[in-house]
Order: sequence, then structure tokens, then C-alpha cells
Amino acid sequence: MNQTATKPHRDTIVCEQAEILCHDAFEGEQYILRIQAPEIARRALAGSFVHIQCDPSLPMRRPISIMRVDAKAGWVELLYKVFGHGTALLAKRQVGEQLDLFGPIGVPFVIHENKTRPLLIGGGVGIPPMIFVADELKTQKQYTPFVIMGSEVPFPFKSKPSTVIVPGQPDGVIGCMPLLEDWGIASRLTSKQGYPGCFDGYVTDLAKHYLDALNDEQRQEVEIFSCGPTVMLEAVAKLAKEYELPCQVSLEEHMACAVGGCAGCVVEVKTENGPAMKRVCVDGPVFDAYSVF
Amino acid sequence: MGTNNNKLAINFCGMDFQTPLVLLSGCVGFGEEYTRVQGFSHSDIGAVCLKGTTLEARLGNAPHRICETPSGMINAIGLQNPGTKHVIETILPELDFSETRFIANLSGSTVEEYAEVARLFDDSPIDAMEINISCPNVKEGGVAFGNDPDMSARVVEACRKVTQKPLITKLSPNQTDIAENARRCIESGTDGFAVINTLMGMAIDIEVRKPIIGNNQGGLSGPAIKPIALLKVHQVYQVCKNHNIPIIGQGGITSANDAIEFLIAGASGIGIGTALFYDPLICPKINQGISDYLDAHNLNSVSELIGTLELN
Ligand SMILES: Cc1cc2nc3c(=O)[nH]c(=O)nc-3n(C[C@H](O)[C@H](O)[C@H](O)COP(=O)(O)OP(=O)(O)OC[C@H]3O[C@@H](n4cnc5c(N)ncnc54)[C@H](O)[C@@H]3O)c2cc1C
Ligand SMILES: Cc1cc2nc3c(=O)[nH]c(=O)nc-3n(C[C@H](O)[C@H](O)[C@H](O)COP(=O)(O)O)c2cc1C
Ligand code: FES
Repeated sequence: MNQTATKPHRDTIVCEQAEILCHDAFEGEQYILRIQAPEIARRALAGSFVHIQCDPSLPMRRPISIMRVDAKAGWVELLYKVFGHGTALLAKRQVGEQLDLFGPIGVPFVIHENKTRPLLIGGGVGIPPMIFVADELKTQKQYTPFVIMGSEVPFPFKSKPSTVIVPGQPDGVIGCMPLLEDWGIASRLTSKQGYPGCFDGYVTDLAKHYLDALNDEQRQEVEIFSCGPTVMLEAVAKLAKEYELPCQVSLEEHMACAVGGCAGCVVEVKTENGPAMKRVCVDGPVFDAYSVF
Repeated sequence: MGTNNNKLAINFCGMDFQTPLVLLSGCVGFGEEYTRVQGFSHSDIGAVCLKGTTLEARLGNAPHRICETPSGMINAIGLQNPGTKHVIETILPELDFSETRFIANLSGSTVEEYAEVARLFDDSPIDAMEINISCPNVKEGGVAFGNDPDMSARVVEACRKVTQKPLITKLSPNQTDIAENARRCIESGTDGFAVINTLMGMAIDIEVRKPIIGNNQGGLSGPAIKPIALLKVHQVYQVCKNHNIPIIGQGGITSANDAIEFLIAGASGIGIGTALFYDPLICPKINQGISDYLDAHNLNSVSELIGTLELN
């Protein structure tokens, strides 16, 4: 009996054996991994993640966000940083090998029609879902997105001077991500490491420069999308409150099942009926920042 | 679609299970979560045990709730659940009882609470109830009851008084004489057993010198506990076999080979928990492996294998 019609959650996640197409190393033990996973590529949305078996010797999986997909070609691209045992094993996997994974998982970012100035803030390995949001925005001409990316290790791409003018940018803050520039999307980089062309400070400081340079009407059109370390998300949420802007954040927590079965990945959120524990895997990973912080 | 193989069907406490596989409490939410995965089918399993349920809603423990350990994991969820009434009124009506059997998992901090939860579930479509007197992650009740044969017997007796539905008592491995506890539970009216729940364990983050788990300690599951679970099933089976009381064997089962070991040791049902986290589509693979084994050994039914262990 097929009950998918009456139970819309059914069959939304697919298991795939995905061939590794490219696996490129960047400074700071960062890797961009492209795999052939056509079903996941077809279904993924900005904010979705996959649950990966890093190596057959390590059966518990690791959650990694999807950065980009090409639904036609059937590939999925991930960006990850070696953090511990699992990601170190993943980094050893070679082009041509099969990766066991399932996805796409999770509630995606929602882009609203009246919020035509999406402000995307990604920190460290929180950058990937921001790229995916930008990818969804790039063909929709009514939007004027701005992407701020922060990192304390070298960015996993070669930055270049931007030709797109962005309101409120301090002198010399010209470095951008070439991929976004090619898509016609403005971006700027921040770091405390003194990388050339980057803003010397936190992502939220640069965001303030930008928001302060907008007029009231323009500011009303801003919605913040963010992913990164919890301390950064907390600061982003504080900024959103200060400027009274809507804000969606993507959270992380340890996961076992990643399909909503174990309640292992919860975060406490505020609801109308008081505090509740929500699962990052299927109730998130994207949450309203105001309900979490 | 699923395993349409009569050889795998068993009768458990009067219930027809289409295969011996039972999805374990706490690993599969309230029954629908794994159906998100394409290719997962309730027709591959005999029964699903729902998340531990208490009379009132519980928020559960603070994060982190889970942590990987060698050949397994530690969890301390803390029985997060929406309370018995919500489960009966909102969740059960959404389950399709034609797909498989659904078993409630009862918890409480007093004998009276267990009995009240059992009474409420008695008046619901649930197929059976599992009495969880072995949860290591709550301060009162749980494993504190399960480690004391007198208390275990009192909980079973109190539940027995309020329901005729099959009662399965889930035993703790964190006790000295599991066989004696099983004997007492049989006297008090249990119809079956689940053996074993998790073992208590800890993991430490050496950088901050703190336990990784928010609750400090938690329940260890997965292949790390399999040999312990197998021995406990063997010990409980020695008590059960004369009373015709079946066991759901569990603890680290991740392959058909593991499942067959548990069947030989005396389990009728095969619990699948942590293995689902490894591979959400593991059930049809285990069914196939058991089926192949039966064919290779000229056995007509999985029942012919149960408890066939020959000691040295
Ligand atoms: C929804 C989601 C999306 C993510 N996307 C990315 C991404 O795009 N790129 C990237 O580099 N990282 C991402 N992460 C973080 C990534 O999952 C962890 O870095 C990874 O699990 C660490 O595993 P390890 O074995 O290397 O580390 P260890 O410290 O050895 O891991 C031990 C255990 O803790 C868990 N764990 C440790 N840190 C985290 C964490 N931050 N989040 C979740 N579990 C953790 C591991 O899964 C493992 O079970 C994401 C996490 C989540 C929840
Ligand atoms: C995340 C998690 C949550 C659990 N929650 C419960 C529970 O609510 N009630 C219960 O009786 N057992 C619970 N258990 C124990 C399992 O049902 C099972 O007995 C145990 O994990 C051993 O089997 P396994 O090694 O196959 O996982 C839980 C186990 C895990 C891993
Ligand atoms: S990881 Fe199991 S519920 Fe989210």
C-alpha cells in the first residue's frame, strides 16, 4: 500500500552510493567534495544536509550541509573541515571511491518575496548553505542579496577584488568570492587574520556597516540568513534584534539517526506553550533565530 | 513491498509478527520517522516499539544527548515524550496498524505512574506494552526499579492488573542476577521479555575535563554490548523456556549473523536499534540473511532455530 499521498514526510530521504568525482584539499584542512548523487541533487534545497558514512570502518555517520547541486548533471558538492576522527577519515577518501550517504534532510531556508535584500552571513564551515541560498537567488532578479563570509583559516577559494559596489564598505574591503561574483551576487570577506582585501573584524561588524548605510525603507527589505559557529549565530541573532530584522539560522548538534527517530540532536526553542525540545535534523537545521537565542 | 516470506513469521505473545525484527524503543521516535527514508518499509518488520512514554510530557535532558564510542554510542535522551494522553490521542491515530504491530514503551517514577500509563494504553489500539524498568537516564524509576527484583515484580503486577494486552518486561543488564529478576516478573504476570536495555557508561572531553554527555552518564548501545546481551538472553531463556515466555533479544545486533546468534541463544524477536543509525535500510538485509541461513540449514521456519543452543 502506498501511503505517501496521505503522509507527505514519507520517502523524502534517499540512500545513495555516490561516486567521488572531485575531492580538493585547501589550506586549513578544508576540502571540497563533489559526488555523483543524482536523487539527492534533484531534491536538495538551500539548508538541506546529508548524513555520510565517512569510511566503512566508522559506521556512525556525520552530518554535512549541501553547498551546491547540479540537478541535471546529478552531482552534489560539500565543503568540510577536518574536525576529528570522522572528518579525518573522510579526507582520505579518493576520487572514484563510493561514498554511502543519505539525504537531503531537514527544513530548508525560506526566501520571502517581500524581503528583497537577503543578507547572508556564513562563518567557517557555515559557508556552504549560504552558497546554496545565493544559488537559489541568482536567477531571481527582484533580489539584491549581499553575502558576508568570515573565516579564521584561509578561505577555500582564491578571493579576488570585487567589481560590485556594496553600501557602507570600509576602504580596502574589496575581496570577494569569485563564484558569487560570477553569479552577479555581491560578497565580502572578514577575518581577524589580516588576509588581504578582507575586513579586519567579525562578520557582524561588517554587517553593521552595511545595514547602517541603508535607508529605513531599504532596511525593511532585509532578512538575515546565517550559518556558522554557535557564538557567531548568537551575535547575528543579537544584531537582528537590534535592527528588528527577521533572521533564520542553521544549527548544529550531535546526531545519531538524522531522520527524527532518536531525539538525540535537540535544541531548546521558545514556543507559545513554553520551552520545547526540537530536533535539529528534521525540525531544523534551519530555525527562526528569535526562537533559539 | 517487503519480505513476503512465511519462514520468517513468528508468533510473539499471541501477536503475529511478519518477521522477527522489532525496531527498538527510542531509536525510531513514535513509529513514522524512518518512513522518511525511501525503501524503508514497515512490512519488513514484526513490530515497532514506540519511544518511552510517561504520564506527563517530559522535555528530556540537556544536550549533548549522544556521543559515539568505540563500536557503539552513549545516549542520555532523558525520556523526552509528549505524555501518554498526547500519544494516544494524537500519535496513535496517525499510525497504520495494518502495516506492522506497534508496542508502547511505558515509563514512570512510581509504581502507580506505570500502572496509570498502562491503564490508559489499555484503552487504545496499541498492540502490546513494553514495561521499561531499565532506563538509565532518569533520576527516579527506570533502572532503579529494574535492578531491584521486588520493585520489578511490583511494577509488573500493577500493570498486569489494568490490562489484558501483552506485557513485555524490558530487563536491565545493570544488575547482578537477571535470571532471578526474570523469574519474579513471570510470577507477576509478564507475557514476554526484552533483553537487554543499555549499559551505563561515560565519555570525557579531555580538553575541558567534562563528560561529553549533558547528563554526565548515559546508556551504552551498539556492537560493544553484543556479547553481554547474548549471555543475558541465554540466561533469561533458561528461565523462560519452561513457561513459554518469549524474548526480544537486543543489544548490538547489526547483521543477520548477529540475529541468528540471538535466535539460537533463545530470542524469538530480534531488536534493531543502533544498527538503524548505521544503515536505515538494514532490516531487509537482515531478513534476507536469516532466510538464506534457514534455507542452507534445511529449516522451514525461524521458530525451529529459537533456543537451539548446545552448550559445550
Ligand atoms: C546540520 C549540520 C550541518 C553541518 N555541515 C557541515 C559542513 O557543511 N561542513 C563541515 O565541515 N561541518 C559541518 N557540520 C559539522 C560536522 O558534522 C562535524 O564537524 C563532524 O560531525 C565532526 O565529526 P568528527 O568525527 O570529525 O569529529 P569528532 O569530534 O571526532 O566527532 C565526535 C562525535 O561528535 C559529533 N560532532 C562533533 N562536532 C559536531 C558538530 N559541530 N556538529 C554535529 N556533530 C558534531 C560527530 O558527528 C561525532 O559523532 C555540520 C553539522 C550539522 C549538524
Ligand atoms: C537514542 C536511544 C534512545 C533510547 N530510548 C529508549 C527508551 O525510551 N526506552 C527504552 O526502553 N529503551 C530505550 N533505548 C534502548 C534501546 O531500545 C535498546 O534496548 C538498546 O539500544 C540496545 O539495542 P541496540 O544496541 O540495538 O541499540 C534507547 C536507545 C538509544 C540508542
Ligand atoms: S539525530 Fe536522531 S532525531 Fe535528530
